[in-house]
Amino acid sequence: MIGGIGERMTTHTLELKNLTKKIKGKTIVDDLSFSVREGEIFGLLGPNGAGKTTTIRMIVGLISITDGDVLINGDNLRGNFEKAMERVGAIVENPQLYDYMTGYKNLMQYARIMPDVTKERIDEVIELVDLKYAIHDKVKTYSLGMRQRLGVAQALLHRPNVLILDEPTNGLDPQGIYDLRNYLRLLANNGTSVIVSSHMLAEMQMMCDRVAIIQHGKLVRIDEILNQEDETEVKVHFQIEGDVAQAKQVLLNLNEDLNVTESGQELIVQTADVRFIAELNKQLVLAGVLVVGIQRKTKTLEERFLEMTKKGGDLNEVAVPVNK
Amino acid sequence: MKWLSLLTNEWIKIFSRTRTWIFLAIPIVIIIGIAVYDKVTTDVEVNENWKQELTQTVKDDQKALDDAKKNGDNAIYIDSLESAIKQNKYAIANDISPYETTAWQFMKDMAFISSLIGLFVIVVASDIVSNEFAKGTIKMLLIRPYSRWKILLSKFVATLGFAFVMWLVVIVATWLVGGLAYGFGGMDQSYLITADDGQVKERLIVEYVFANIGVEFIELTTLVAMSFMISTLFMSNSVAIGVAMFTLFAGNIIVTLLANKDWVIYTLFANMDLSVLIDGQNQLVKDLTLPFSISVLAVYTAIMLAITFTVFQKRDVKA
Ligand SMILES: Nc1ncnc2c1ncn2[C@@H]1O[C@H](COP(=O)(O)OP(=O)(O)OP(=O)(O)O)[C@@H](O)[C@H]1O
Ligand SMILES: [Mg+2]
Repeated sequence: MIGGIGERMTTHTLELKNLTKKIKGKTIVDDLSFSVREGEIFGLLGPNGAGKTTTIRMIVGLISITDGDVLINGDNLRGNFEKAMERVGAIVENPQLYDYMTGYKNLMQYARIMPDVTKERIDEVIELVDLKYAIHDKVKTYSLGMRQRLGVAQALLHRPNVLILDEPTNGLDPQGIYDLRNYLRLLANNGTSVIVSSHMLAEMQMMCDRVAIIQHGKLVRIDEILNQEDETEVKVHFQIEGDVAQAKQVLLNLNEDLNVTESGQELIVQTADVRFIAELNKQLVLAGVLVVGIQRKTKTLEERFLEMTKKGGDLNEVAVPVNK
Repeated sequence: MKWLSLLTNEWIKIFSRTRTWIFLAIPIVIIIGIAVYDKVTTDVEVNENWKQELTQTVKDDQKALDDAKKNGDNAIYIDSLESAIKQNKYAIANDISPYETTAWQFMKDMAFISSLIGLFVIVVASDIVSNEFAKGTIKMLLIRPYSRWKILLSKFVATLGFAFVMWLVVIVATWLVGGLAYGFGGMDQSYLITADDGQVKERLIVEYVFANIGVEFIELTTLVAMSFMISTLFMSNSVAIGVAMFTLFAGNIIVTLLANKDWVIYTLFANMDLSVLIDGQNQLVKDLTLPFSISVLAVYTAIMLAITFTVFQKRDVKA
């Protein structure tokens, strides 16, 4: 990239301006505006039916735009579709591939029609999504996760600088999710803008730099996600059977400065360190306290999300096994 | 950008399907089967004594004709008997054996195979758009930096290419099989037709064969355009296959029913079978001529393509 030295202003690779979609008189996406910066991972978060997929469909030109504009790398999608889409890679809902062809031949389909995709690049991408062992098998033999990996591979082939992934972790195993998250970060560090949609808070929180919360097709707000080191907001809930106050004392005896609060049959400790959580659990058990459950809750975004979308229930609770 | 790569992709998709190879194999197997069957069962005696055989046929036909006239049977039936008798008499008088088979005669006899090809082409053409909608693969294609019309055009050209290749393969196969079975000669062989004025005339078989090859390309183009339009409008290959097959096969019945209406000549049905217009035999609608029918098909094809491209350009893809 030849960037003007000195003019280091933020570049926006994707801009939505008052984007609106109406289907049969029903407004599905309502006056949505936001801009995605170069090199950031941007999340679209919203409950089922919020309009995330509809928004993405408009961005990639699968459905018409009722009103508003989409600018990709400065090119207006409505006026110059081919130019605008040149550096876009995307998965919209599930990646659907040609069942009757091998994974490799599927990739060849897209390699052929995108600019500058070499054979080396194809191999590189296959390596990246860890699909080398099955790439010459027919796609009809693939599992959901393998299809998802192939979908990610086709989206990355031509080194897009705007990568749009609708529910990319759907069907991936933990290793796959972990790898994807790391790889997306790597891409972002190299200047790619990544747009991911999800209704899973934890995932968004771990993955994104900024998250737009969408409900009923409207933008509720855009949140900056705090850095991973800055996880003071992570709380651990110990569910205790018996005397909660006594259990609290056990923990305070261990460390006076510990931030512990009681809540019904639960003790809530503010910490993100897994080893430390295990240590606390061990001490509780040694002291004869019956711990029946431990849950780590990543707060902020979840609280905001539930508050904004006005829905109850803990959507994001990561259970940690208890050793009795 | 690289439109030709789009075309390559479509071509690869067509030939990646087992179905395509079966479609190519079926007509060839049928042709070989018919040639072998004919070789095994044909009575050489009859062929050598064809004049006696034919004289007998003329006698039988004459009797049938007399009966038919007495009973006041269908005029078409009477006409066909009369022309058969005339043709056979002409054959005997001018020494033109209808039983002498050569590669070219074989190709003329096998011309019906083109209906089968029409059928397979309908299946492929209906599928190439609607299957991608059904399977959802269309969205992986439409998010590429190509205008939609370019993508649709690549599909249209690929299907047309497939149809033409299939037709050519079958022609060459028929010629080879015919030649191997009956010898490759016969370029100067004639067959008999009954002209409008009731006169029996000789025509070269080769002329018919080449004319038939030519008009089939035109018919296939229209069929592809029609299947394309229906599958784009309804996004369903079964509807497309159904309607296209109906037009191809039930067309004749409809035309027969409507034969006395003036406007029937402007319908698609009436013009879908160009091969009968080559020598004017077995023609259902008398007013049609080859140039007229080709013009009608061209107009229909252009309209159907215009509708297809317009609809496809605007369609919301929710696959
Ligand atoms: N073709 C359509 N006609 C009418 N309504 C539609 C159509 N397509 C989508 N919708 C409506 O638009 C809304 C948004 O759908 P969309 O698929 O964008 O949601 P989403 O945010 O992606 O949800 P999810 O998390 O379940 O994927 C839904 O309420 C849906 O019912
Ligand atoms: Mg969705």
